[in-house]
This record gives sequence, structure tokens and C-alpha cells, in this order.
Amino acid sequence: MSLQRRDFLKAGGAALAAGLAGCATMRSASGPAKARVVVVGGGYGGATAARYVRLLDPTIDVILVEQNESFVSCPLSNMVLGGFRTMGDITRPYSGLEARGVRVVRDTAIAIDAQKKQVRLSRGDAIGFERVIVSPGVDFMWEALPAMASESAQGEVLHAWKAGPQTAALRLQLEAMPDGGIYVLSIPEAPYRCPPGPYERACQVAAYFRARKPRSKVLLLDANADVTSKGPLFKKAWADLYKGFIEYRPNSKAVDVDVRGRAVKLEFDDVKADVLNVLPPMKAGGAAAAFITVNKRWCEVDWVTYESKAAKGVHILGDSLQIAPAMPKSGSMANGHAKVCAAAVVALLRGEAPNPSPTLINTCYSMVSDKHAIHVASVHKYDEKDRTMKAVPGSGGVSLGMSEAEGAYAMNWAANIWADALS
Amino acid sequence: MEKHLAMAAAAAAFAAAALAQQPVPPTPAFAAPNLTPQGVAALAANCAMCHGTRGLPAPGSSLPRIAGRNAESTIEAMKAFKEGKREATVMHQIAKGFTDSEIAAIAGYFASQREGS
Repeated sequence: MSLQRRDFLKAGGAALAAGLAGCATMRSASGPAKARVVVVGGGYGGATAARYVRLLDPTIDVILVEQNESFVSCPLSNMVLGGFRTMGDITRPYSGLEARGVRVVRDTAIAIDAQKKQVRLSRGDAIGFERVIVSPGVDFMWEALPAMASESAQGEVLHAWKAGPQTAALRLQLEAMPDGGIYVLSIPEAPYRCPPGPYERACQVAAYFRARKPRSKVLLLDANADVTSKGPLFKKAWADLYKGFIEYRPNSKAVDVDVRGRAVKLEFDDVKADVLNVLPPMKAGGAAAAFITVNKRWCEVDWVTYESKAAKGVHILGDSLQIAPAMPKSGSMANGHAKVCAAAVVALLRGEAPNPSPTLINTCYSMVSDKHAIHVASVHKYDEKDRTMKAVPGSGGVSLGMSEAEGAYAMNWAANIWADALS
Repeated sequence: MEKHLAMAAAAAAFAAAALAQQPVPPTPAFAAPNLTPQGVAALAANCAMCHGTRGLPAPGSSLPRIAGRNAESTIEAMKAFKEGKREATVMHQIAKGFTDSEIAAIAGYFASQREGS
């Protein structure tokens, strides 16, 4: 931003202090108001976007709409199931963002009006914006599992695929399960949030069983033909660390659930569990649903600006996106999307051209025990011709094998990415 | 025998034709890197998830601090990772995603980062 514009905005600032409601651009005699960006969703994508808009231009008014009191990390949440971390360990406050001038509004965005440039809230008044960044994560397609439609069913057969109360509740179910029981995890067809997550979860639950309930078993029912991420590494960890504890069944797609009988219904048989954990198929979450353009599930964006292909002024990022080739739905990726998007939004608000050559790195660690990790990494660059992000040939890869060194790096990753999103 | 040879030749020709028709994966048309100060900051922002915002590690992180590090030493390390001359768990895979000019630009960016600036 030029000095002139910065000073101009500063001079106008006093006249422009206004409430949350109203138009995005409140005009006064002294000139245009500071621009407002509303961010919907305070996860890995949204929190990072809110922070980076303020880092890049502290004159921009940033409002973050988030329904939860605190940030609860999905990465590392499987370690709560293993008993190696507490909910407190994976929970962080939004106070760092507030100290940076982000206004955090605890509410649920129920709709985004791209024409009126307003976010409508469940409880509070609508909030106007000049640009909105939508990062609501995923919603579950309960219609794929008819018996799971009711809230009571969803309270009994847990997903724990959004870190929070369900994570703690699933841990309690595992603790209450008698030794000799079977924990069944049903995995949906890709794409879903966090491709390696289910296989990491199997390791964590098996680690708990090995230590405390050695006659118990983990049974993975995978709708996919094989492990969808870090396959050989997970299979080696299962064989080396949890021999006899984990059974893997590919091509086992859940078509419904017997809630009272605690069973998954597959196409040809039912599989009974003592603790049943079902990951339903997923689609773009909450406020992003209105901008779905692919398979009635995902949102397409311009990879330079993350502006929706369905609506101007609406930017979407994170797990709601129709992913580019070889790009996972991960917290790491959402953090990267958010920084490209934040810089583009700031540029567009100034009437400048956004960065025409965005680059993204993905690095995902999976904890295969309380201290050993494996990773998958990739580097993606913008392809001008095909207007998509593509993995750079020769870059990226997975671990040679699990290691304690990578376990330590995974913890550093968490500390640094949380600070990058929230401080 | 001759017939077999002829058949083998025909099969080879067929295989060659099939190979020729196989779509060659197109070389990605990557956009030229934007090495303006904003473009370099955007490239370097990718390192934050492990090394901290602007290369300043978060409290509790034991990874080496790259903010304020001499640019030559960062370039040397990245080059060694890229060429497989320095052992790594992940950095050799990431370094291969960046051109030499991008690495030099990122190294310069981190060299100039200071606490609180």
C-alpha cells in the first residue's frame, strides 16, 4: 500500500469506528471506510487467513466468524484416542488473533449473500464485507448412511473427524470397552479430509490396546481398494508395532449402520463392533455449500486468488475445495491456501494484481506410536496453461521409515503451524 | 520359424505403435516465479509450518532458527539437500521443488528477518 493511501485511511479512521452490522463500505464525509474482510471458520485455513490479512495490511478490518470458543486441532487429535495427549494439549485460544486486531465473533454463518456482500449469522446481525474468505471444513453426507440421520444416532456412533467433543467422547468409549472387544473404523471412499488420518488412528488405538487391553482388536473397513496414503509405511508399522492387533479389509464400503446393534452394514454382510467409529462421506462444509460446483460435493476456485468460480468476492479454501491433482485435504494445505488467498485478497482490495505464480508445500506427519512418525510431502506450483496447481516433478515423497526424529519434527510442526495460524 | 519371427516382428511393431500413441505426460507450464518482495515473502511463507512465521520458531520448537541466518549458508544447505548431498528426512524432497533463483530469494528473505520486525 502506498504511504498516501495509508495516511488517508488513518485520517479517516476515527470517523469510521462502527459496529459489526451494516455495509461493508461505510462512507463518510472524510472518505471511504477501511476495507473489511470477513473470514468464516477458524480452523487451519480460516485462522491463518485472518492472521495473514492483518500481517499484510493492519489497516484492513478483519472479522472471524467461528462457532467454537477455542481452536481444537485435528492433527494430533488421534493421540488423544491413544491416550498420549489430552484435549488441552490440542486446544489453543483465539486470543492471539484478537491481540492482532482480528475481531472474533462466536456465531455460525448460515448463509453468504454474494450480491449484498453480507454474511448472515445464526444469532447475531448480518455482517457486511468487501471480500469474504470461507473456510468451513467439511460436512458429513449422512444421506449415504440412512440410519445415521438422527441426532441421537450421531451421538452414539461417533466420527470424531472434527476435533472437539467427539474426540473426547470416542476416547471415553474406548476406555469403557472391555478387553477382548473390537474397535471398528469405517473409512469412506476418497476424497475425504486427511487421507492418512484413519490409518494413523488405527495405530493410536492399537497402541492403547497393546498397552492396556491386549486381547482387543482394531478392524479397518476401508471403502477404498487400498490404504490411500503412505500405504507401505502404515502396513510396516502395523506389522512391526501392532502385530495381531490390526486387521485391514479393503473394498469394504459402508452402506448403512445398525445403530442399536453397533454394526456396520456392508454390501454383503454386517460387521459388529464393540466400539463403532464411522467416517461418513464428506462434502464442502456449511457456508461453502452454496458455492459447490463439482459432484454436488466440492467448490472450485481460481488457484491464484481462491475466488469461487460460482461467486465474485467469495474466496474459499481448505477442505471444501475441489482439490488439484495430488493435493490432499490437509491442515498443512489449508494453511498454505490461506496465505496465498490472504495475499491475493489484500492485493485485490488495493487494486493491485495478485501473485501470478503461487507455490504451496504440503507436509503431513502421521504418528504411528506415541513417539514415531512418518510423513508425506509435496511441492505444488501454478500451471498457467491448465490453470491449476501441479506437483513439481521430482519433488516430494514419503519417509524412508518411521522414526523418533520425525516424531519430534511432527511436534515442532504442530507448535509452528499453530503459531502461524493463531498468534 | 519364419512365421514366428514375422509374428514377433509384427507384435514388436504393434507395441512400438502403441507406445508411440501413449500420451506423453505434458511438462507442466509453471508460471515464472514472481520474485518481487511480495512474491518472495509468499514463497517463504510456505516454510512457516515447520520453521515458524518469517523463520522465527514458535516457543517449544527445537528446529533450527532460519530467521537472521546468513543467506550463503541457507543457499548451501538447500543446494546440498536438493542434490542429495546432505542427509534429511524431508528437506531433500522439498528442496527439489524450488529453482536455484527461488532458493536464493528465499535465503535472502530469511537473512533479513529479525525478531519483532
